[in-house]
Amino acid sequence: MDLILTLGLDALNFSLAIVLVAMGLVIIFGLMNVINMAHGELFLLGAFTLVVVQQAGGGFWLGLFLAPVVVGLVGLLLEELIIRHVYRRFLDTILATWGISIAIKQAVILGFGPASYTVDAPLQFGIDLFGATYPAYRLFIMGVAVLVILLTMFVFFRTRFGLAARGVIANRSMAACLGINTRRLDRATFAFGAALAGLAGAVMAPQMSVDPQMGLGFLIPAFLAILTGGGGLTGTLLGASLVGGIDSTFAKLWSPVLAQVVVFAMAILVIRIFPNGLLARRGR
Amino acid sequence: MSRPALVIAALIWLGFAILPALVDDWQLLQLAQFMTYGIFAMSLALIWGQAGLLCFGQAIFFGGGAYAMSLVTMGMIPFVPANTWLGLLAAMALPAIFANLLGRFLFYGKGLRGAHFGIVTLAIAVIAERLAINWEFIGGFNGLMNVPPLNITVIGEPIELIDGLPTYYGVLTLAILVFAILAAILSTPFGLALNALRNNEDRAAFLGYDNARLKLAIFTIAAAVAGLSGALFVAQFAFASPTLLGFGLSTEVLIWTALGGKSLLIAAFLGAVIVRTAENYLSELLGPSWLLGLGALFVFCVIFFPRGLMAELLLRLERALPGGRRRG
Repeated sequence: MDLILTLGLDALNFSLAIVLVAMGLVIIFGLMNVINMAHGELFLLGAFTLVVVQQAGGGFWLGLFLAPVVVGLVGLLLEELIIRHVYRRFLDTILATWGISIAIKQAVILGFGPASYTVDAPLQFGIDLFGATYPAYRLFIMGVAVLVILLTMFVFFRTRFGLAARGVIANRSMAACLGINTRRLDRATFAFGAALAGLAGAVMAPQMSVDPQMGLGFLIPAFLAILTGGGGLTGTLLGASLVGGIDSTFAKLWSPVLAQVVVFAMAILVIRIFPNGLLARRGR
Repeated sequence: MSRPALVIAALIWLGFAILPALVDDWQLLQLAQFMTYGIFAMSLALIWGQAGLLCFGQAIFFGGGAYAMSLVTMGMIPFVPANTWLGLLAAMALPAIFANLLGRFLFYGKGLRGAHFGIVTLAIAVIAERLAINWEFIGGFNGLMNVPPLNITVIGEPIELIDGLPTYYGVLTLAILVFAILAAILSTPFGLALNALRNNEDRAAFLGYDNARLKLAIFTIAAAVAGLSGALFVAQFAFASPTLLGFGLSTEVLIWTALGGKSLLIAAFLGAVIVRTAENYLSELLGPSWLLGLGALFVFCVIFFPRGLMAELLLRLERALPGGRRRG
C-alpha cells in the first residue's frame, strides 16, 4: 500500500514538474508557432539565478521570486534580438533557438564552471499522508505547478491579453486586422513563456544537481509530453501525466535507464499513430 | 550539376589533393579525421538540404557504423573474420538497415513531418547513447578501445593506413567517391523528385510522387554514408565510445552542415573540415568561449545566411563564372 501511494505521488510529482516546463513551451508554440529548443536553457538560467541569489546571501524565497523576472527579461531580449527575425521560417526557428541554447549553456559554463551546485532547500521535513511520509518540498513543487496551471488559465481565459492571444492563435492576420498589436503580443508571450521556464528551473533546483546539462533532461520529456498530448492545455496535462507516470513507475520498479527507454519508445509510438497528438485540435 | 558547379567542385577536390605538399604529417592525420566528419556532414546535407528532412539524430548512424566497424575489425563477431573490407561493409549495412526499418515506421501512413521528425530522431539519439552506455558487450560507458587501423590488403603483403600521407589519401579517395556517387544520384530524376518534395510536400504528392518511398530511399542512403564515415573515423581514432552515437555529435554535425551550407554537398563537407580545423586552433586559445562563439555564429548564420556561409560563397562564384545558372 505504501509503495503504491509513494509511487502515485512520485508519478504525480514528476508529471507536474513536466507540466511546469512544458507550459511555457506550449504557450510559445501555440501563439508564435516557434519551437523553442532553448527552453531547457531558460530553465537552467532560472536554477542558476537561485544559485547566485543564495551565494550573495539572499534566501531561497527571494531567489524563487527573482528567477522568473530575470529569465523573463532574458526572453524579452532574445525575442527582440533573434527570434523575431525568423518568425516566418518555421524550421529555422528550431535551428536559431538551438544555437541560442548552445550559447547560453556555454555562457553558464564560462561563468560557473562545468561542475554541479547544490541549492539549499526550504521545507525540509516530511508530511504524513495516509500513513506514508512524503517530503514537504515535493508537495510544494506540486502546489506551484497547480498554481501555474491555474494562473495560465486565468490569464488566457479571463483577461484582455488572453482574449487577444487566443484571437491570434485562431487567426493571426484577422486578429491583426482587428487592431491587435501582434508584435507586442509576441514579445509579451515569449517573455511570459521564458519566465515560466525560469520559475520551473528555480522550483526544481533543490531537487536536482544544478549543472549546465540539466536543461536537456527536462526539455525532451516536455516535448514528448506536448507531442503525445497534442498541445493545448488539456493535451499537455494528459501528455505530461502519461510521460511522468510511466517514467516514475518503471524507474521505481526496474531502472531509470529502462524507464527512459520505455517512455521514449511509447511516446514515439503514440506520435507515429496520432501525429496530431491524442487530443488533436480540429481544424485551424 | 551545372558545368560551373562541376568545375568548382573539381577545383576544391584538387585543392585537397595537393594539400599534403603544404602541411606536415601530424596535420595530415588531423585533416584525415576531419574529412571523415566532412563525409558525415555530406550525409546530413543529403537528407536535410536535398529532401528537407531535418534529422536531429544523424549521429545514430555515424556511431552505429563506428561500432559495427570496431566489432568486426576487432574480431568480436563470431564466425566473421577481422577484416577492414568486411568492417566497412557492416558499417554501411547496419545503419542502412536500421534507417530503413525506422523510416518504414516513421514515413508511411500518416507520416511524420518537419519538427515532429526532428524531435523523434533527437529522442532516438538520446536513447541510443543511453543503451550503448549500459550494454556491456560493446564496452558500456568505456567503449571499445584499440580498434585497429584501416588495413586495405587485397592479396599478399598487408597494407595498414597508419601514417599521415596514406591515411589522408585513403580518406580523400573515399570522400571524392562518396561525393561523386551522391552528386550522380542527385542529378537523376530521383534527385529532382527529392527537391520537389523538399519545396512542397503536398504538391509533390499531388503530382503523383510517392513521398514516403522517396524519403525512405534517401534516408537509407544517407545512413549508409554516415555509417561509412563513422567507420573511417573510428579506424583512425582507435576508440569507439557512446558519445559517437548521441546527442552531442548530432548537434555538432548540424552546426557544421548549417554553417557550410546544407544545399550543397561540397559546402557541407567544407563546413565540417573548416569548423573542426578552426576548433583545433581556437579551442585551446579560447577555451569554453569557443563554443559560445560558435553557437552565436550559428544563430547569426541561420538568421542572415540561411543557405550557409560556404554555399553562399560557392553559389556566388558559380554565378560569376561563364555559363552559370542564376538561382534565386
